[in-house]
Amino acid sequence: MTSAIRRPDFIGSYNVRGTVSFYGATAAEIDRSAFTLTRVLRTFGFAAGSNIMTISMVPEIIQYGGFERAVQMLGLYGLNADDSPFDAGRVESISRQFDPVAICGVAASTLEGLRMFGHDAEKVFAGRTVWARPDAYAQVCSMPNVDTRRVVSIGPALALECAHGCLHYDSRDWTMAEYDGVLHLSSRYDRTEPLAELDTGIAGSISDRPCTCGVRDGVVVPA
Amino acid sequence: MAHPEFFDPVETASREDLDRLQEGAIVAIAAHAYARAPLIRETWDAAGVRPSDIRSVGDFVAKVPIIDKDDVRSYRDRHDDPSGGMSASVPGETVSIGTTSGTTGDPTPVPNWYRSGSEEAYFRDHWHIGLRPGDYFSWMMFTFRGGHRRRYYSEHGVSEICFSIGPSEIPRFAEASKRWRPTSGAIFSNPMLLMLEAYFEKSGDDPVDVFKSYKGAIFGGEPLGNRLATLTRSWGLELFETTSLGDVAGATMCRMHDGFHAYEDLAFIETVDPVTREPLADGEVGELVVTTLNDRLTPLVRYGSGDLVQIKRGPCGCGRNHARYDLLGRATDQIIIEGRSILPREIMGLVEQHSETRAGLFQIIRTDREMDALKLRIGYDRARLEVSHEVLRDRLHGMIAEAVGVRLHVELVDEQDLLKLGPPHKIPRVTRQ
Repeated sequence: MTSAIRRPDFIGSYNVRGTVSFYGATAAEIDRSAFTLTRVLRTFGFAAGSNIMTISMVPEIIQYGGFERAVQMLGLYGLNADDSPFDAGRVESISRQFDPVAICGVAASTLEGLRMFGHDAEKVFAGRTVWARPDAYAQVCSMPNVDTRRVVSIGPALALECAHGCLHYDSRDWTMAEYDGVLHLSSRYDRTEPLAELDTGIAGSISDRPCTCGVRDGVVVPA
Repeated sequence: MAHPEFFDPVETASREDLDRLQEGAIVAIAAHAYARAPLIRETWDAAGVRPSDIRSVGDFVAKVPIIDKDDVRSYRDRHDDPSGGMSASVPGETVSIGTTSGTTGDPTPVPNWYRSGSEEAYFRDHWHIGLRPGDYFSWMMFTFRGGHRRRYYSEHGVSEICFSIGPSEIPRFAEASKRWRPTSGAIFSNPMLLMLEAYFEKSGDDPVDVFKSYKGAIFGGEPLGNRLATLTRSWGLELFETTSLGDVAGATMCRMHDGFHAYEDLAFIETVDPVTREPLADGEVGELVVTTLNDRLTPLVRYGSGDLVQIKRGPCGCGRNHARYDLLGRATDQIIIEGRSILPREIMGLVEQHSETRAGLFQIIRTDREMDALKLRIGYDRARLEVSHEVLRDRLHGMIAEAVGVRLHVELVDEQDLLKLGPPHKIPRVTRQ
């Protein structure tokens, strides 16, 4: 597939089995993903004016830029910290000062940083919805009083768990297929950087059962 | 299409036009701040000042009380308000909340609209460097400044190549620079340059080739030392130093490298005596006091930045008439020993001259403004240490003591211990312990 769109507005990256590749997208492509993510966010019923913290890195604009736009579109306020042990102090400070209803993108690096700075992750996350990345999911799940959800970067696509427990991806922009238990990603629309059968390195399968949350977007089931 | 030389026509406004613009803008922002920002209202009420008292810049300077970071923190603690009474409630305008670096405490929130004064100022600076629609731009930053919501560059046809700050990003930065050939970049910092230096030494990649498309890059976080300035020049890279304009916008040097430009359509700047807070004339060394002219969400009015500066208002060789200033250091970092003033900027140039301490990582232990001796904690690179601790300490002690001419104590620590005090682009240069 060739692209009619030549120039990306942003060049971020995605990571497959530790190899980081550049990936470009236009602002319109990121906004498009935001609409999908608003559907998932709405299933939680967060009150307008609530705060939501995103933990990510700048090159993750391709995946998390849409999430932040979705937060804005629903009248919520976004705050940010880096996905780095060294910025875990900010995660604690923002949680304490702003009482976010949700935190998206918690990774093992943040948990390590909280320990390093002497903060109790259970207290930092208590009472909140926390979308954890695969390397932190089990640990956050074990914390009491935390509504633990999954967030998974599948190549340049972001899959986000809804309030009913399904991990949704934007099935209008992306086609997902499973080969030998690994998810492969292809673009459905013309994009700055079309993708065909990208081996994402993410183990999982596709579910064809509609989610009870009512969101029509596709669902992947992590292995 | 031929592009204009300056991004915004206001950049070349005459002194008279800038003064007229400020007369109107300052009255408007003062009224807005009093109405919307609780700390401003509290401070003005205590001083008996009303917005109707402010009809000109003259009234403003004569009557409006100065606030500073301590006032913001005090309001925050008294009212359990994370914004410290500086977040104006403007329904529908706040779209997200950024935070400051948090080098010296809890990060302070910075409510964001779709654009900020900093984005406006920095795009002008990159345009001055040579960035134009259709170009690529290297963006190496943290997310806390504004997350992934920034659109200023894409709205103007510039493609951003996004990087985080860390050693693993350096080979990717070099690869991307050769692949897309960016015109400019930001924000380059001391740690990033040190990581680049180590990368070039180890990989054999040619820095001149990596940077051959760059017409310049903006450098910030801390002062640029002589060693790294010389090194980057050898790479063919021109760095443009930047600093915070009192948390209102950025202030960056132009190609003349003769002071930081403060865009006077974005901010009103003045200097005051750091102790008495009495106004000083341009050219005198004083504390920089900044007032935003357009940030309705954080309307900092007569905000004492803590920076010791010298303001110059004459025309600049770059073609702009906006004020410039020389930055001497932070007033709260200044230490007096045997009557001699010492600021971290002076120490950096001395520390970075040694191979083991070339990162220039150090802290001044400051328990009082006036002290009997200079106490330095200096970080060294374990991998570059070829002599004993004692030999290195004695070498550093001898050279620094001779240069500054005061009593000196030097403590050596592994530089990794200092880096943990981050954020990664800078460490607290002055500490009480």
